[in-house]
Amino acid sequence: MTAFAEVAGSFVREQARTPLNLVLLVFIPIFFVVIFASVLGEFAEALGGDLAEQAATSISAGWAAAFLCGTLAFFQLNSARDADRRLASAGLGPWRVATGRIAAALVLGALVSAVAYLTLWLRSGVEHPPHAALAILIFAAIYIGLGALIGVLVRGQLEGSLIVVLVFALDVFSGPAMTSGGGLTSFTPTRDAAELLIAAGGGRDSPASDWIGAAAVAAGGIAIAMVAFWLSARSRGS
Amino acid sequence: MSGRTAAATAMAFRDQLRRPLVLILLIAVPAYVISRSIATTEGIPREIGLPGGEQVLTTMKDLHGAVMGGTAVAFVAALVGVFVMQSALRGDRRLVVAGFEPGEAITARLIVLAASTALVVAVSALVTALYFTPSGWGVFLVGLLLVGLIYGSLGTLAGAAMSNLAATYLMLFLVMTDLGIVSNPMFGDGTPEGWAALFPGYGPNRLMVGGAFAESFPVAGLLALSAAWAVGLTAAAVAVLRRVVGRRS
Repeated sequence: MTAFAEVAGSFVREQARTPLNLVLLVFIPIFFVVIFASVLGEFAEALGGDLAEQAATSISAGWAAAFLCGTLAFFQLNSARDADRRLASAGLGPWRVATGRIAAALVLGALVSAVAYLTLWLRSGVEHPPHAALAILIFAAIYIGLGALIGVLVRGQLEGSLIVVLVFALDVFSGPAMTSGGGLTSFTPTRDAAELLIAAGGGRDSPASDWIGAAAVAAGGIAIAMVAFWLSARSRGS
Repeated sequence: MSGRTAAATAMAFRDQLRRPLVLILLIAVPAYVISRSIATTEGIPREIGLPGGEQVLTTMKDLHGAVMGGTAVAFVAALVGVFVMQSALRGDRRLVVAGFEPGEAITARLIVLAASTALVVAVSALVTALYFTPSGWGVFLVGLLLVGLIYGSLGTLAGAAMSNLAATYLMLFLVMTDLGIVSNPMFGDGTPEGWAALFPGYGPNRLMVGGAFAESFPVAGLLALSAAWAVGLTAAAVAVLRRVVGRRS
């Protein structure tokens, strides 16, 4: 456990060595929630959605966590591939490297989610605080999975970052916050998480099916990220 | 163009052709973002202020047609700029050590950046044309191209100054703030605040909005402002690229 904590801690410190990364991980969720949320209500109405302002503020916190964590997981996997193989070959093994990477991604995801949540709470209050906090974390977990999956499939950094943007745009424009339903809306990865966050922002309870759906997709995201980091860390010969 | 510059340019394009996914994404990302956003926007009436002060009644759908291309071009061009700089950091120093002049190596990179930006601008204009017809295509296209040049250069500078992750975050932040909110007539009272002119995308964005909805409007000031940003940032990007690839350690 101590060795694992050391490895996971070193992966977190790897990001902390670039202070600007940390500054942006803290600043961008604040920006998204404070500034972007003020116009999201108008934007959603123009796109046929029906978000009230408070619900729009809530969904902006989820989107901030999603984009930042997806990009982070992509670059984490993409830039550490060679180092992770060496770590695994040197005795740590691919599973422990993958678990350490996931733990580091979740710690940073929790940081981003906490900042987004606190900003949300300070800006407009949260009717259902635990619901909103969990829903934002679910956004982060789902995008850690998506970012890691893109990272293991695509080696080029430009290609990978453009695919993260494309997936994010598809998710946002097809999500329940921005459309009145139908089409892709039922299949977007963060659909249930968005429903939870919108409900929490609007002071409504969510049905159990939304919680089960969101938890299942988040668990799937973490499992996919685990496999992606494992595939990336194992040596070519094994 | 010298023989060595031509060779470096050919190699840089060959490098891009080896990665067909880049080409596909340079087309797919703006095409999807623009078509999806315009197609799903409702025709809600909206009064906006044009450059020159005239007020015009339009719809949110047409407004999305006027501004979404700029946002898509800015974000894609900025990311291309970030990673062009990263490629220069990795490969072009070796060319300089092998005898190339820094100017020859970076000319090739800048041509690739310009070609990628031109492709994204062309795709964005074509997709926009499927849903929306501006009053004046000429001014609208100039605005779109200037957005690409400005944000391509900003991406290049960000790629030189910070890590890929930080540069990607910063470009998202800047594009969303500048073109997505501050200069966007879809929000607020339909006319950007005075301080919006401090942002690099203000000039080209106002050119696009004017070109989209006005038969004629005062172009010169906005064109001069946009050109100043484009020339200044391109010169800064060239200077940084020269310094980076010319460093021998």
